[in-house]
Amino acid sequence: MKARSFRYLVGEGFKGAWANRLMSLASVGVLVACMVIIGLALLISENVSRAIGKLEEQNVAMVYMKDYSWALYGDEVQRLTEGGDKNGITPDMYVIHDEKEARELCDKIAKLDNVKSVEYISGEEGLESVKADMIEGQEQFFDFLDEEFGNPLPASAKVTMNDMARFNKTVEEIKAIDGVDSIKAQDDLAESITAVKRGVMIAGIWIIGILLIISLVVVSNTIRITMYNRKLEISIMKAVGATDAFVRIPFVVEGILIGVLSAVIAEGLLYFCYRVATETIAQTLGTTDIVRYSDMMFYLLGVFVVIGILAGAIGSFIMIGKYLRREGSEFSAI
Amino acid sequence: MTENQNIMPQGAENEKPVIEFKGVSKTYPSGTHALDDVNIRINQGEFAFVVGSSGAGKSTFMKLIMREEKANTGVITVNGFNLTKMRRKSIPMLRRTMGIVFQDFRLIPKMNVFDNVAFAMHVVGADKRTIRKEVSKALSKVGLGEKARSMPNELSGGEQQRVGLARALVNSPDLIIADEPTGNVDPNMSYEIVSLLTEINKKGTTVLMVTHDHNLVRDFKHRVIMLDSGRIVADNIGGVEQ
Repeated sequence: MKARSFRYLVGEGFKGAWANRLMSLASVGVLVACMVIIGLALLISENVSRAIGKLEEQNVAMVYMKDYSWALYGDEVQRLTEGGDKNGITPDMYVIHDEKEARELCDKIAKLDNVKSVEYISGEEGLESVKADMIEGQEQFFDFLDEEFGNPLPASAKVTMNDMARFNKTVEEIKAIDGVDSIKAQDDLAESITAVKRGVMIAGIWIIGILLIISLVVVSNTIRITMYNRKLEISIMKAVGATDAFVRIPFVVEGILIGVLSAVIAEGLLYFCYRVATETIAQTLGTTDIVRYSDMMFYLLGVFVVIGILAGAIGSFIMIGKYLRREGSEFSAI
Repeated sequence: MTENQNIMPQGAENEKPVIEFKGVSKTYPSGTHALDDVNIRINQGEFAFVVGSSGAGKSTFMKLIMREEKANTGVITVNGFNLTKMRRKSIPMLRRTMGIVFQDFRLIPKMNVFDNVAFAMHVVGADKRTIRKEVSKALSKVGLGEKARSMPNELSGGEQQRVGLARALVNSPDLIIADEPTGNVDPNMSYEIVSLLTEINKKGTTVLMVTHDHNLVRDFKHRVIMLDSGRIVADNIGGVEQ
């Protein structure tokens, strides 16, 4: 097709949308509604993801290292140091001797596939942390233990994970590493987080899928009406030797135009609605930890434009294609 | 008139055919037999009226030429295209070699006279300068050079049909197909339109015109193809029965 023909047809598409403006406006209205709901679904999903991300950060597994030195105190220590216990095992065989060994164990954990981060906590830091959580007076007990027998707490590692769905599996992998004594983790929370994430994702996919279909049907119907309104023009086009592409392009342009216009309006409307909603939430709940619209603005505009263009182009392409196949070569009777 | 299924004007064998039907039959899916073993040849530069009562097969005959319908049997050749073997995507190329005039004018109401005629040139991808030149020429040919900016509803029926004729002419086709072009105009204007078609024909364009108007057929001495029950029952050249 020649460039001038294409320019002419694009112009005809614009004229068509204007000539059919009431119907185009109705389609823009429905498309805007669909896009705003899709945008809200994406914003809600983003906010839920952020909240879940925070929960995930809190849902750590505490890995305690094999360090039995705290239990081998007093006479026992003296006795075992000299000749070992009844099995001949001396305390130095159990203990992770120093920070270097402990950090090496941390590195081994960090190398696991699903591990996001590993934070080394020495026995001393662990003890300080426990003492800080005690009510006044209780920490003296730990001071006594520490002074008399040494720090009772082993070195530990604070492990966070990437995928909470694989939490339990990763815990098992950590347990299998030599030098790991025990793991404390809230695996029920991990399961809840995974369930919520999956639920939000499935709901999002359904909402977006259904609305995409609605968008497609709406644009198709508008184009169908435009097409029947312009049967006369199509019949003349066919009579004077227009190709199917020539007949089709103005309708596809019209569909895309409706889609893009809807995208721009939806972006503005969603910005306004989201701003009002977040300000109300911030005032009512006192939280400021909400996704800002400006962070998502271009992403949402991109999504809307893509939806608009696809719905417009595919909807009109299908509709005019159907018409051309059925009546395309006829023009005598309109 | 005599019944003749293999009609060919005398001495026409050596001339170049614009339209040729060889053993063409058409039956619609509903079972209606529209055309039955039609053989006919219309040569370059001829003017032929197609006449016949309703249901005689005139519309099917025209639709087959314009490749709106496909024949069940036989071979149709129009402007060098074999319509029997033609693929759907080649149909526009066939139609660019013909100009079609409709009984109901088929003018786009929101476009002025100039744009209605130019529309046919946009379809074939003509540039603006050529469009301006050719449209003005076509409008002058039909005597509407002064009404280029008028809207269709400001014109009489005859004038509207002349716009339709200008649109059919603007791409300089080899063949003009006119489907009852005088059906919606008064008798005086009918004569004017057929006179115009005759003028165009004299410059070498083949014209095929369906009509019910016996006066026109009688007064303009052109070839007359008569259809009845899907068969060609008569074919007169210049009022002389062949």
